[in-house]
Amino acid sequence: MGIRFEHVSYHYVGNAKRPYEAIRDINLDIDAKDEFIALVGHTGSGKSTLAQHMNALVFPAEGTVRLFGATITAKRNKKIKYNDLRRKVGLVFQFPEYQLFEETVEKDVLFGPLNFHVPLEEAKERALRAIRLVGLDETYLKRNPFNLSGGEKKRVSIAGILALDPQILVLDEPTSGLDPLGKIQMMELFESIRRETGKTIIVITHDMDLVYRYATRVLVLEKGSLVFDGSPDRLFRRSKLEDWHLDYPQTIRVLKKVKETFGWNLDVYQPTCEEAFAELKKAVTK
Amino acid sequence: MKSIVIGQYLPGQSFLYKIDPRTKLVAMLFLLVSIFLLNTIVLQLISFGVVLTILMLGKLSLRRIMRGLRPIFVLMIFTFVFQIAINTAGVPLIPSGYETMHLSPFSLGAALVWTVLWRIGVKTLRVRFWLFLAWVLGLYAIFHFIDIGPLWGTFDFQVYSEGVRMSVFVILRLMIVLTLSTVLTLTTKPTDLTQAMESFMRPLRVIGLNSDEFALIISISLRYIPTILDEANKIMLAQASRGADFTEGKLKDKIRQVVSLLVPMFIIAFKRSEDLADAMESRNFVPGKPRTRIHELKFGAWDLIALLFVAATFATSLVIAL
Repeated sequence: MGIRFEHVSYHYVGNAKRPYEAIRDINLDIDAKDEFIALVGHTGSGKSTLAQHMNALVFPAEGTVRLFGATITAKRNKKIKYNDLRRKVGLVFQFPEYQLFEETVEKDVLFGPLNFHVPLEEAKERALRAIRLVGLDETYLKRNPFNLSGGEKKRVSIAGILALDPQILVLDEPTSGLDPLGKIQMMELFESIRRETGKTIIVITHDMDLVYRYATRVLVLEKGSLVFDGSPDRLFRRSKLEDWHLDYPQTIRVLKKVKETFGWNLDVYQPTCEEAFAELKKAVTK
Repeated sequence: MKSIVIGQYLPGQSFLYKIDPRTKLVAMLFLLVSIFLLNTIVLQLISFGVVLTILMLGKLSLRRIMRGLRPIFVLMIFTFVFQIAINTAGVPLIPSGYETMHLSPFSLGAALVWTVLWRIGVKTLRVRFWLFLAWVLGLYAIFHFIDIGPLWGTFDFQVYSEGVRMSVFVILRLMIVLTLSTVLTLTTKPTDLTQAMESFMRPLRVIGLNSDEFALIISISLRYIPTILDEANKIMLAQASRGADFTEGKLKDKIRQVVSLLVPMFIIAFKRSEDLADAMESRNFVPGKPRTRIHELKFGAWDLIALLFVAATFATSLVIAL
């Protein structure tokens, strides 16, 4: 049980004569347990549209999406409770400005749980837990969300979804606009949520270092088509990443250059800085 | 919400595009007045022919215009039906006793069932217009042909000459007016239109109204309508993923959900206007100071022809009307 895409296509209808195809013929299976998926691709490759299909915010124009047993097609089905699906798959949008609206952080985080009729006491408990999870403390609960910094707003908006306790967490560019340390903290947070609760995390990102370090699976979108689905290790061992507008992670680039310059025998595929450093040390002391 | 298009300007090459927007506005005004001066069906038909000729000469596709008229089409059909049903001036067109309608439990029941079927059809199918037509014709047939059971009374279905005349007349006039205004918006950019309005309002400076600023306000708001709609859509999706389903729920929940939509919209709009003000100021925009333009409005040969044509039309209809 999870998310399954079967030949899903979607196009935006605009002023132009031909509708703009955002995604086409996507086939995909996502488990509800213990996956850390990175969704990467060029700007405009359909990443966000694909993410919005994952909790039935938009309906596929063609094909079907199966969400926890419910079948989503182009037509709205009165028997399906779409709202319940959105509780199972939490989607955090890229810009927190699009969802913050209450006068205190606590009320804003409570908005989601209360919409799903969680009792107030329990909702408050969840809010407290969520705000701590995202690395803020309880003094933030009484603050005005509009006076927070960009990074703090982002954390609050993620807490608003975490308080729903979804089985799958989808995040649209959660690391954009954060400083390098904030990025690492954010990814560590998702990783710890996955470790502790076994939820599946899906992250849209442009940062290949983070992909290599954290993801267990990478999906690459190119002009609306799913061109790669596999482990990051397999992805970065490919030679022609430029065709998909992707880059290699820093560790691979540095180690490759070192290998080229000094002729050392190195395994360049190291996901973290520490491992890359260890590999270098091994080569030097040899 | 996604399909709303503000300003339906369609790039093109014909003479309608070469006419100065000021000329077009004045021409439109006088053509509309002339049409309201003409008050017989024949004259309206002639002016409709003239409008169609303009369309053909301007190489605008009739289908495109019709597509713009579609939302008004339903209104026109309603006007038509009600004019015929309610207007009782003039001579009756049907001999009395010829079209007798029967009121009985059966015919009333059948009418009720038919109405319910029509409503269901409207909900499920997407051809509202044809369904409405079918409903009206069906009602007529039911009252006319079902004459079994205890009769509570009969009445005559009657159509009066004035009703027919008025309905045809009103629809013709609506079509002409709408086609003309569609021609204007199809062939003129919104910015050109505001520039034309600005130049007409320039004399108002005497009473302290700054037409420059007014035009700027209009063009900025026109520019940002699609942007804000797009943003509203995104906010709606973001709140929907937190369980604010805008289609279901009780009234109390709904109010809260609307607030969750409005507050971010206002905040984003204010932020946007501040950014825009900064961007304009950093490019040295000073309110109230005269500015130059990339495209100056110029009168050409086409404007002269258009104005002559409009003057001739206006004079003709004045003569006919008086």
